[in-house]
Amino acid sequence: MIELLSVPSLLTVQDAGRTGYRKLGVPVSGFMDDFSARVANYLVGNPGDFPLLEFLLAGPKMRFNASVVFAVAGDVDVRINGTPIEPWTSYWAKRGDILEVGTLRSGLYGYIAFAGGVKCEKLLGSCSAYPRAGLGRPLKAGDRLSVGYALLTGREGCSLPRKLKPDYSGDSVEIRVVLGPDLEHFTENGIETFLSSAYVITPESDRMGYRLEGPVIEHSEKGPDIVTSPLVPGSIQVPGSGRPIVMMRDAQTTGGYAKIATVITADLPFLAQSRPGTEIMFKRVAPEEAREILKRREKTLEAIRKFLDGEMRAYSVRALGKEFLLFAGKI
Amino acid sequence: MNIKPLGDSALLISFGEVIDDEVNARVHAVARAIEGKDFGWLVEVVPAYSSLAVIFDPLKVTFEDVKKAVEPLLDVSTGAFKGRKIEIPVLYGGEYGPDIEFVAEYNGLGVDDVIEIHSGKTYRVHFLGFLPGFAYLSPVDERIATPRLERPRLKVPAGSVGIAGRQTGIYPIESPGGWRLIGRTPLRLFDPSREPPTLLQPGDEVRFVPISEEEFVELYRGEWRSKQ
Repeated sequence: MIELLSVPSLLTVQDAGRTGYRKLGVPVSGFMDDFSARVANYLVGNPGDFPLLEFLLAGPKMRFNASVVFAVAGDVDVRINGTPIEPWTSYWAKRGDILEVGTLRSGLYGYIAFAGGVKCEKLLGSCSAYPRAGLGRPLKAGDRLSVGYALLTGREGCSLPRKLKPDYSGDSVEIRVVLGPDLEHFTENGIETFLSSAYVITPESDRMGYRLEGPVIEHSEKGPDIVTSPLVPGSIQVPGSGRPIVMMRDAQTTGGYAKIATVITADLPFLAQSRPGTEIMFKRVAPEEAREILKRREKTLEAIRKFLDGEMRAYSVRALGKEFLLFAGKI
Repeated sequence: MNIKPLGDSALLISFGEVIDDEVNARVHAVARAIEGKDFGWLVEVVPAYSSLAVIFDPLKVTFEDVKKAVEPLLDVSTGAFKGRKIEIPVLYGGEYGPDIEFVAEYNGLGVDDVIEIHSGKTYRVHFLGFLPGFAYLSPVDERIATPRLERPRLKVPAGSVGIAGRQTGIYPIESPGGWRLIGRTPLRLFDPSREPPTLLQPGDEVRFVPISEEEFVELYRGEWRSKQ
C-alpha cells in the first residue's frame, strides 16, 4: 500500500491505452511518452504496458506502507527519506519510507513505476485515466494505491545507461510526419508553409491536444471544414485560423477540421515532452520510412529490456570520434 | 473511393465527403467485413459518416499490405445492415431545454411545433465520435434548424438534447458545448460499467419521445440512483 501525501499537479494512472472502443467515441488515452513509461516499467521488471503513475511537471510525495520496488523516469530530483537518489534506477523502499519527486528540469511528463504495477480497476479493458468520461480520475493527496505482488520479480539496482536516457531539453525539436489525408483542403503554398516554418507550442495544450502558433497555413478553396472523419493521436488538424493543432493521447476519435499530416509514432514522445514555447519543425517522411524508424526504436527498447533483465550486456565503444553503446548477448 | 495513410499505423478509406444513409451503411458494412477477417495486425476500425479508419500494428504489416488486404472487401453488400429501434424519452423545454424558445422564435414557430417536429422523425445513428457515446444522427427537419450559440456554454449537463444547424444530438457526459439545448433525457448515454458502455450504436434508429417532468424524475432515478 502506498499513500499519496501531496500531489502538486496532474497525476494519473496510465497504461498502454484503451483499444477497441474508438468506434464508440472513447479515446485511446495511455502514456503520453511511451518510451519513458516503458523503460520505467522495465527498470522494475514489469512488462512495458503495465499501469504506472504519470505526473505533469511536478511529482508527488508518498509514503510506502509496505516494501515496494520502484523507479522514477524523468529529468528530476528524487529523494527517499530526504536523501537524494537517482532517477532511471530501481530501488527497494521499506515500510515507512517517504519518496519525494521534484519538478522536472526538462520535459513535461514523468513516470513512477512499481514492481507488479499499480493495481486498478480496468474500465473498458484499460487502467488509463480519462476523467471526462468517468474512466478513472486524477489522483489527490490522501489516496491510497495498491501495487501488484512482486516479491519474486521486483529487483532493485537496475539503472539505465546515461547515453540511453531520452533528452527532452531542446528549445527546438524536429518532428517527423506523414502528410495527409486531407491535402486537397490546402494549397501547395499552405503545405510548404507547414513544412518550412517553425511552430511554437502554446500554453493551451494538454493530454487532448497541443495548439501551435506560427505562420498561417493556407487552405484551398475547399476550406478548413471536412465532413467529420476519424483521426488518431498525432493527427494535425488545421482549423480556419490556419494554426495547427496536434491531437494527443486523449484526442477525440473523429474531427471536422482538415488534417494536413500525422506525427509518426516514434516521434510522439518527443512532441509530448516539449514544453510550451518549444519550437517545432515538421519534416515529411513516407509511411514506409516511419515504419522503419519505429522498428529501430522497438529494437532499442527490446535491447534495453534485455539489458535490464541481465540477458544482454552493454559496452561503450569509441569509433570515428564518436561514442557508441553496443549491446551484446543472445537474442 | 480512395485509401490514404493516416499516419504510420492507420489508413483512411473514404467514400467521398457526403452525409448520406446509404453511404454510411456501406461504411459500416466494410467495417464489419474487415473486423470479421481475423487479420492478426488489426487493432480496431473507426467508422464515421462516409469514411473509416483501419488502425493496424505497423510492426506486423506495411501500409501497402493493409491496403491490399482491405481492397477486396470494399464492394461488400450493405443489405444486411439493420439497427435497433430505440426510443429516447425527452423532457422538452423549461430549465432542461433553455433554448427551445429561441429555436421556436428563430424559425417562426411555437414551442409545441418544435417538439412535434423534433420528435416526429426517425433518425439514424451514423457513427459515434467527439465524446464517448456521442451519436452523430441523420439531420433534423429544415424547419427547426438553428445556428449554434455565439458563446458556447462552459458546462452542458449530461443528457442534454441540442440542435446545431441541421444536426441534433445528446450530450452523453457533462462537457462544454455550443448547441441550442431544447430538452434533456434521463437516460445514461455512456456508462463504462455497462457492456456495451454506450446506449446507442451505429445503425440504430432513434425516436425522441416527449415525457412529463414526473416521468423524467422516475426514469432518472432508475438510471442514475445506483451510480450516485
